[in-house]
Amino acid sequence: MRAMYLANYFVAGCIASSFLGWVASLHPMAFRAIAFLAAASFILWGLCWLLDFSVSGWLKISVHNLQALLLAGLASIAIGAGVFLCS
Amino acid sequence: MQLKMWVLSGAALVLWLAPLTALDKKVGWHKSAQGLSLVAAVACAVTAGNIARFLSEQEEIEAIKTRAITADVVDEIAVSAYVSQAQRQQEAEQILNPVEALERALALPDAEVERLEPIAQKQLAEPEQNGSENGESERTERIHQLQALGWGKAKIILEIWGVTKGGSPKYKAAEAEYKRLTEGG
Repeated sequence: MRAMYLANYFVAGCIASSFLGWVASLHPMAFRAIAFLAAASFILWGLCWLLDFSVSGWLKISVHNLQALLLAGLASIAIGAGVFLCS
Repeated sequence: MQLKMWVLSGAALVLWLAPLTALDKKVGWHKSAQGLSLVAAVACAVTAGNIARFLSEQEEIEAIKTRAITADVVDEIAVSAYVSQAQRQQEAEQILNPVEALERALALPDAEVERLEPIAQKQLAEPEQNGSENGESERTERIHQLQALGWGKAKIILEIWGVTKGGSPKYKAAEAEYKRLTEGG
C-alpha cells in the first residue's frame, strides 16, 4: 500500500507538470512565466542536489530519502512534460 | 476504501492521458476540455494518494499491534515457565527441609534447637496429606526430634497421637505404634 501511495503522488506530479505545459501553451506570457518557473525550479533542484546534507538536516529526512525525492520529482516533471509535448 | 482508491487512480490516469491524445489542441473547446480534465486528474491522483497513505498507516498500526500481542504471549509463557520452576523448587525444598531440620536438631546445641523447633513442627505438620507411607516416616522423625529435646514417652504420645496416659485402648495402640516406630527406626 505504501508503494501505491507513492505511485499516486508520482502520477499527480506528472499530471501537474502536464497541466503547467497546457497553461504555457495558452499564451506567450504564460509560456514565459512557466519557463521562468521551470528555470527557478531547476536551479533550486540543482542546489538541493549539491547541498543534500544541509537540506536533509533542515527537512529532517535522510540524505537517501532526499535524493530519492529529487530524482522522483525530476522524473515526474520530465514524464509529464514529455507526455504533453508528444501528444 | 481500497476500491475507491483504485477507481480514483485509474480515473487520474484516464483523465490525464485520454484528452491529451484524443483531443486536438488547435480546437478551442478541446483545449478547454484538456485543461479541465488535467485539473480533475490531479485532484483524483492526490485523493487516491491520500487514501493509500491512510490505508498504509492502518496496516502499519495493525502490524505493530500483532507484534505487541505476540511479544505479550511470549512474555506470559516465559513468566509461567519461570513461576512453575520456582514452585517446583519450593516444593522440593519443603520436602527436604524437615529432614535437614531434624539433622540439625540432633547436631546443634539446645538454643539452636529451640529456634528451629517451631519451623520443624510446622513443616512436619504440613505433609500429612501426602499419604500414609510418608506419615509413618514423619512420625518417626518427629519422635526422634522430641526425644532429642528430652521429651518422655507419655508426652510424645500425647503430642503425636493426642491421647493421654492410661489404660485406654487408644493409648495402648498408640504406645504399641510408638514402640514399633522407635524400635524399627
